[in-house]
Amino acid sequence: MKTKFLIIILLMLNIKLSANENIGIDTKIFKNLRCLVCQGQTIAESNSDFAQTIKIVVRDKISRGSNEKEIYEFLSEKYGEWIVYKPKFNYINSFLWISPYIVLILGGYLIFKYFRKRRQ
Amino acid sequence: MLSNTGNILLIGSIASTFLIIYFAYQNIKVRSPQIKKNIIYLSFFQITFVISSFLLLIFAFVFSDFSLIAVYQNSHSAKPLFYKISGVWGNHEGSMLLWVNIMVLFSYLFFVFNNKTNSVLSLYTLIVQNILILGFLVFLISDSNPFFKILPIPIEGLGLNPILQDPALAIHPPLLYLGFVGSSIYFSAAVAAILSNSDGKNFALSIKKWVLISWSFQSLGIIVGSIWAYYELGWGGFWFWDPVENASLIPWFCMTALAHSVLVLEKRNYLYNWVLILSLITFISSVTGTFLVRSGILNSVHTFANDPSRGLYILIFLSLMILFSFIIFFKRRINDQFNLNPLSKETFILSNNWFMMFYLATVFVGTIYPIFTQVLYNTNISVGPPFYNQVIAPILIPFLIFMAVGPKIGWMKSKFISYKPFFVIIILSLLINFFISFFLKSYNLISNLIIVSSLFLILYSLKDFITNVKSNSYYNLASFFSHLGFGILILFIILNHNFSEEFDLNIKVGETKKIGNMEIKFNNLKIENRENYNAVIGDFNIQDFQRNYLKKLNPEIRVYENPQTLTFESAINTNFKQDIYLTMSNIDGSDFYNIKFQVKPFMLWIWFAAFLTASGGLVRVFLKK
Repeated sequence: MKTKFLIIILLMLNIKLSANENIGIDTKIFKNLRCLVCQGQTIAESNSDFAQTIKIVVRDKISRGSNEKEIYEFLSEKYGEWIVYKPKFNYINSFLWISPYIVLILGGYLIFKYFRKRRQ
Repeated sequence: MLSNTGNILLIGSIASTFLIIYFAYQNIKVRSPQIKKNIIYLSFFQITFVISSFLLLIFAFVFSDFSLIAVYQNSHSAKPLFYKISGVWGNHEGSMLLWVNIMVLFSYLFFVFNNKTNSVLSLYTLIVQNILILGFLVFLISDSNPFFKILPIPIEGLGLNPILQDPALAIHPPLLYLGFVGSSIYFSAAVAAILSNSDGKNFALSIKKWVLISWSFQSLGIIVGSIWAYYELGWGGFWFWDPVENASLIPWFCMTALAHSVLVLEKRNYLYNWVLILSLITFISSVTGTFLVRSGILNSVHTFANDPSRGLYILIFLSLMILFSFIIFFKRRINDQFNLNPLSKETFILSNNWFMMFYLATVFVGTIYPIFTQVLYNTNISVGPPFYNQVIAPILIPFLIFMAVGPKIGWMKSKFISYKPFFVIIILSLLINFFISFFLKSYNLISNLIIVSSLFLILYSLKDFITNVKSNSYYNLASFFSHLGFGILILFIILNHNFSEEFDLNIKVGETKKIGNMEIKFNNLKIENRENYNAVIGDFNIQDFQRNYLKKLNPEIRVYENPQTLTFESAINTNFKQDIYLTMSNIDGSDFYNIKFQVKPFMLWIWFAAFLTASGGLVRVFLKK
């Protein structure tokens, strides 16, 4: 009964695994890149010449069959990691990615601790 | 002349602040519960001085008195009246004066409302708050004085940054300031409560109202800023996780946590230490945010007034504030012991705080991490929307479920929420989600789960509301508005995220481009002279063959003279279903124009839901039975 119920629920979550198709892959990439000559704008938002150049480069790479990850890597090699808005998970950035979950677990533990006291 | 009057008023404010601290201290020393009349008079003088100086500055801006540097640098005689007034807080000096005004306003109101019921706590609060006010007044008069003169007197001003000349941005700073500067009053009250050994319940009762008021204004300020960013910055987004947005969000998380846990302190006398900590860090994080933004340490679209000496003053002030408040806190640690029943309102309120602290940690680490990597490893990294979305979105799912169930759980101990409605609503949410994704468009797992849980929150809140209206029992309308609003907000944000369509293309006058089922036609360009700028107006036809509509949109490029700036105005066609959004920009050395064309569903609903959420705090304070 329970498993059937779970299967039904899973079926009801009509999941699609591919990326959002309404937004072109180019726009998606532009949104994840920083315009280096602007004040906190993405390539997608910026009207600068730099943004126009990057847009041409990215579209060119896409037409040559590069995927998203390769494009990010190419650009961060050329301009530094500063250009991508999603920091890589590596040694330097590990604390950035992990610390929120440390807080989450710690908080949950603290609340749980007060339950335990009661049971004893 | 005007400059002298302004300075006299500021000196008057400083003098009255000094005297308030002195007399309040004397009053505490004699240990009489009676508050001396002169403190009440002095408070009245203080607020009169401070507000007069602010009105005087407004007067200077309205009549374009360029003998003041602040007016000369940020105003222009040809500017519309409304923007002359908003120019008062559109610069560092004026905004610091507004800051002091709000601190004094909250100080005054808190004192007036609390001095009869809780005289010792309100005297201590008055002292602490006025020490803070003094700190900011000294900063104002010495370093950021809006009444500094300029000689010889210029004939014309430099003008206000054109992107600040906008109705939403004119009211955005005062709203936001009422929020995070308002939080100073419960910072002061927390320090005062520790110093005066106030009992938890009294403390909770005296700050509750102010927490809710500041929370509502903070929310409104954030919403208005976000609406402005949406139509003015020209990229169609409304939240970018920009450092300055984060700086306003961090105090908001604290306030939200506080607005909930203060209820536990009031009703059950639990969590005293925790409520004190939250009260302290709300204002501390507000000032930290201001410091990071004003000093220009964080790279942001909002950075204005970069001046290292200002940053240094705020940094020293901030450090002292943190140091003293926490020394006081740890020295007189209040011991509170308590046990929680897993199924009680206390637990659910704590779980709200738990999620808030998670969001806060995420935003905080994301905002300051780039500074660390630069100092420690000499690498520049950017932490942007992909990081926040990925970390925060999944944790919204349990949060929304807890938020739905929480309000109906009783204090101390409760039988579990009846299973039947719980499952009926879950199934209903799953069904609705299924129909959306089946008939319209499917989306990823996290989006599915967030939509289901936000629908659950909406339906559950409505169910609670209807059963309560039927049985005619007491119902907390404030929490209903805020929780329902938040559910609708998240639902429409996720739908908007998944159903938005965006295109970026280059086009010449007279050209027609086809994208999908749509056609964009660039008819012509015209140039118009307006009040204080020239506008290059594009005339576009947007035709959708599938949904069968034709829309005319006119995005603009505005050329401002003083100061010389280009701004790009979006053209938006709004209805209940969707926004059609178009911006254009010129490309140097070519006939082509770069256009960004977007179809963004449910934008109106997002704003409505955000306002509904924000209204909760004010409903609680002003419509209380």
